[in-house]
Amino acid sequence: MSGELSFRDEVTNMMYASHGNPISDCLQCGTCSGTCPAAEFMDHSPRMLIGMIGADLKDEVLGSNTFWSCASCYHCSVRCPAGIDIAGLMYALKRYSIWKDRHQAGLIGPAFSESFVKMIVGSGRSYEPALAPTYLFKYGPRGLIEEAQTATNLVLKGRMPLLPTRIKGLKAFQNIVRRIIPIGEPS
Amino acid sequence: MKNYAYYPGCSLESMAKGYNVSSVEVAGALGLELQEIKDWNCCGATAYFPVDELLAHTLVSRNLALAEKQGASDFVAPCSACYKNAYFTNAYLREDRDLAEHVNYALEADHLHVNGNLHVRHLIEVFLEDVGLEVIGKHVQRPLKGLKVAPYYGCQLLRPRKDHEDTEAPRFFEDLLSAIGAEPVPYASKTRCCGGSLIVTNRKAALDMVRILLEDAVAHQADVIATVCPMCNVNLEVYQSQVNHEFGTEFAVPVMYFTQLMGVAFGLRPDRLGIGQEMVSGAPLLAFAET
Amino acid sequence: MTEKIGVYVCHCGTNIAGTVDVKGVAEWAATRLKHRGVIIGREYKFMCSSLGQELIEKDIKELGLTRVVVAACSPHLHEKTFRTACERAGLNPYLCEMVSIREQVSWVHTDKAAATEKSRAVIAGGVERVIHDEPLEPLMVPIHADTLVVGGGIAGIQAALEIADAGFHVCLVEREPSIGGHMAQFDKTFPTLDCAACILTPKMVQVGSHPNITLMTWSEVEKVDGFVGNFTATIRKKARYVNTDTCTGCGICWEKCPKKVEDTVFEVGMGKRKAIYTPFAQAVPRYPVLDVENCTYFKNGKCKACQLFCPTEPNSINFDQVDEMVEVKAGNIILATGFDLFDATRIPQYGYGKLPNVFTNLEFERMCNAAGPTEGRVVLRDMKTPPKSVAIVHCVGSRDENYNKYCSTICCMQSLKFAHLVMERTGAEVYNCYIDIRAAFKDYEEFYKRVLEEGGHFIRGKVAEISDVARTPEEQGKLVVQVEDTLIGKQRRIPVDMVILSAGLEPRADAKEVGKLFGISCGASGWYTEKHPKLDPVATMTEGIFIAGCVQGPKDIPASVAQGAAAAARVLGKIQQGEIALEPIKASITESQCSGCRICNGLCPFNAILFHEDRMVSEINAALCQGCGTCVAACPAGAISGTGFSNDQIMAQIEGLMLLDVGPEPVAA
Repeated sequence: MSGELSFRDEVTNMMYASHGNPISDCLQCGTCSGTCPAAEFMDHSPRMLIGMIGADLKDEVLGSNTFWSCASCYHCSVRCPAGIDIAGLMYALKRYSIWKDRHQAGLIGPAFSESFVKMIVGSGRSYEPALAPTYLFKYGPRGLIEEAQTATNLVLKGRMPLLPTRIKGLKAFQNIVRRIIPIGEPS
Repeated sequence: MKNYAYYPGCSLESMAKGYNVSSVEVAGALGLELQEIKDWNCCGATAYFPVDELLAHTLVSRNLALAEKQGASDFVAPCSACYKNAYFTNAYLREDRDLAEHVNYALEADHLHVNGNLHVRHLIEVFLEDVGLEVIGKHVQRPLKGLKVAPYYGCQLLRPRKDHEDTEAPRFFEDLLSAIGAEPVPYASKTRCCGGSLIVTNRKAALDMVRILLEDAVAHQADVIATVCPMCNVNLEVYQSQVNHEFGTEFAVPVMYFTQLMGVAFGLRPDRLGIGQEMVSGAPLLAFAET
Repeated sequence: MTEKIGVYVCHCGTNIAGTVDVKGVAEWAATRLKHRGVIIGREYKFMCSSLGQELIEKDIKELGLTRVVVAACSPHLHEKTFRTACERAGLNPYLCEMVSIREQVSWVHTDKAAATEKSRAVIAGGVERVIHDEPLEPLMVPIHADTLVVGGGIAGIQAALEIADAGFHVCLVEREPSIGGHMAQFDKTFPTLDCAACILTPKMVQVGSHPNITLMTWSEVEKVDGFVGNFTATIRKKARYVNTDTCTGCGICWEKCPKKVEDTVFEVGMGKRKAIYTPFAQAVPRYPVLDVENCTYFKNGKCKACQLFCPTEPNSINFDQVDEMVEVKAGNIILATGFDLFDATRIPQYGYGKLPNVFTNLEFERMCNAAGPTEGRVVLRDMKTPPKSVAIVHCVGSRDENYNKYCSTICCMQSLKFAHLVMERTGAEVYNCYIDIRAAFKDYEEFYKRVLEEGGHFIRGKVAEISDVARTPEEQGKLVVQVEDTLIGKQRRIPVDMVILSAGLEPRADAKEVGKLFGISCGASGWYTEKHPKLDPVATMTEGIFIAGCVQGPKDIPASVAQGAAAAARVLGKIQQGEIALEPIKASITESQCSGCRICNGLCPFNAILFHEDRMVSEINAALCQGCGTCVAACPAGAISGTGFSNDQIMAQIEGLMLLDVGPEPVAA
């Protein structure tokens, strides 16, 4: 299998355009994980994930919920003593995960992000109700009811549009998108 | 007079209408003309980057190009996520020739071109730097005396580092609140994340993060939490009842936009500031408004 | 007459040979530059070795070489080596030119063909230049036997004592009122737990009473003129407002002084001193210093208690004293001005300056010190409550791209020491939060083991933040240290009463300016640059100026002492030699061509040019001239020439570099 890239190399490649230092600079100091406000909800801390990438534990990394629990608050990145853009790494892993369609079962993030992009490509503007199917049914009965209540309240207060909006130059907008990724007819 | 291109962002047209209305009102009161960008598209917040980096930069660049086209020098966003995206895409376009080439190739399909020479600002920055605390102070008709306000900076206004020096313990929001007569409340979590989009993708985590913020603000006797971002505002306010259900807490603290506080202090009418659509009553602030 | 030139190309192992075709280049010189006088071209693995040098010597003797060109490393390293070799063989050393094909070619280029081509050009330049070289004799200049040591910390003290004990005079200048430096602030030193004052003060007393040491405290060097062997330093002896001839150091003045002032220097803001004071009880010299900014008399003309109570006859307090400028001559200078502590307020998330019970390492040293503000009791900021739990944070401002990239070397051991002291004095639970434990030197690892066995908790994780926000009942009223315990992979919130930040070491705030004064440079991190990082840590690129202690980089006390002694040994060696050979590379003015415009006078950085009013011409003092070439370039009449750097030599070298006169390819037979 010579010539095949290691998982570590793959991830390093995805971080090429990042504006921080390479992940190989990681001292495993733990500042990121000590800072991360979502760390307790992750099965592996950000630091541990970087260690796992370094050890080429591809399956464990892709099967982790760590990067899908990242809120992109960037607190890790600004504090990292090695100058690594850890939040950027989390985004890179999200992209890898969606590209390979490999992620932990039951996560909302992947479907939500993909649907969001599809929605924008279709209209140019965000419309929350269109995204509901990606997560509502994963909330369980109580969650579903609470969300319905919240949504109703928002509608009553005039803060939730009932109909989606579209940008006027939608066709040209889609032509722009076509020059980046191949898209079919908007659904 | 600077030419400000105004980018409200999707949230300000729906869940955060109050922020949109009050931003425009207050900017007008301060003599600033915010020209809304024609036919802008969604900046993606945190949802594009998990899918495709180049597409993300391209979709943001369309808005930058439209702003440049209307002759603007400054691109102003009231939402921290829109601000962060525009700021960095703009900076990367300048630094990275390859990115600029590829993005402009795509934008060409709509006869657009981006140069990356705008000054990307958050609305609060524009008030503080272009208007200044002294002038803001002069517009205050009804100082919010005795109103304890917890300034909630959130994440993406400060991080990753932009032009502000201090990402850990900034004071500019407190200074603004003092200038309008309010009493900023010191609390440690003012730059801690509200969870952002985790409110959808990992609700458990986000509700806990919101709870910690509410707890800290309330423990320091805050009457109101002031925000600079619609996502933060929604998480802290709209989901306050869910936090209560989840943790058995009894939070009932109003969460309002800094522009709404400024507007009330300037003596503007609450209904012109989008006040009245809150889930948690904005009564403590309304007490200062004209009855 | 054509010179007989030998060209020697060094492989330097693979350093040069790995990139440049050294054999080919040597052959090329012997054949293509033959018409210029090259009669032999050799290559050898290590020209600087004795065998390599012998090659040159043999050729000089047997082939009658009149000029030598060595293409190897930088002249900074081995120009002297090859010149000495030539001298041994009977050739004037200044008829030997060295060109660099390592630092300037093989170490900076990867394209082998291009590097080889460049080497040929560089060598051709050397050949053309050497043709114009003249035999020169070095200027012998006497070395002044006195030494100036700047900085009275442990490194400076050690250096001064070594030189003074050897029988030579030292002038030791210290900025603070007393010598002792940072070491005087510490309580115990690792790993022996020796009391810092107990081991330091005997040396301080020796310095104070040594017949060969002139001690100038409360003084600063303002100007340095001259060169190796002949420095003149202008020192400002700041006014103490105390007559040191009559003062006995009895201490009545500071006892009676009514004005208390926060001591931000020695006590690091933890304690107070008086307006007239000595920084600590064992100060050397014992003479106090009057703090003009805080003295009641100087502020509003009242008080004068110190003068009133001074028992000496005549009175030792002199409110009219002024700063005194003193000129000191020295042959060599040792800089040992130490370090400053990293400012922990630069890391807001650690709460230093906002949360009262967060301390820095230096504050904690003062607290532990028996003569300090709490008389050695480990207590909270309220000065009375002992803590029940203490967290010690390693790597504050060090190993961090956001602050200082380097490791400050001593903080791990200092943190272990603190852990031991806290447990010993309070029985508190101690948590050391670290990234790595750096315990590299003698008995250091054993000390770490000791602290482990004494029950210290070690959490491998860099502290993310420290706050007073309680989320659980156990956290109420505590400082919460939030850190990932990386060894178990969990984020932990540890409630403690007190936090000690092991702040890193930084160069002094004015290190750059001070360096300029002495003509030495700082590295990227701000520490002074040594001559060679491995083999010459106490010398600098400026002859006669040495560095010792933390000025060269963070280090512990034994290393500082060793460097102080090393610098002293180098200086003693120079003094023993009695005279130093100055490079004869000097500028000289052709009087007949000088128009008396005096442009050169003001440009000379060494003030080596005089102007003769009567003849309206300038003249260069060869002893002061350093051969920098500024005047040579500036003279509009071209009347100034530099020996060893004449216009002819430089133009020839340029023509050589451009390969303007290379012979044809030898025709294959």
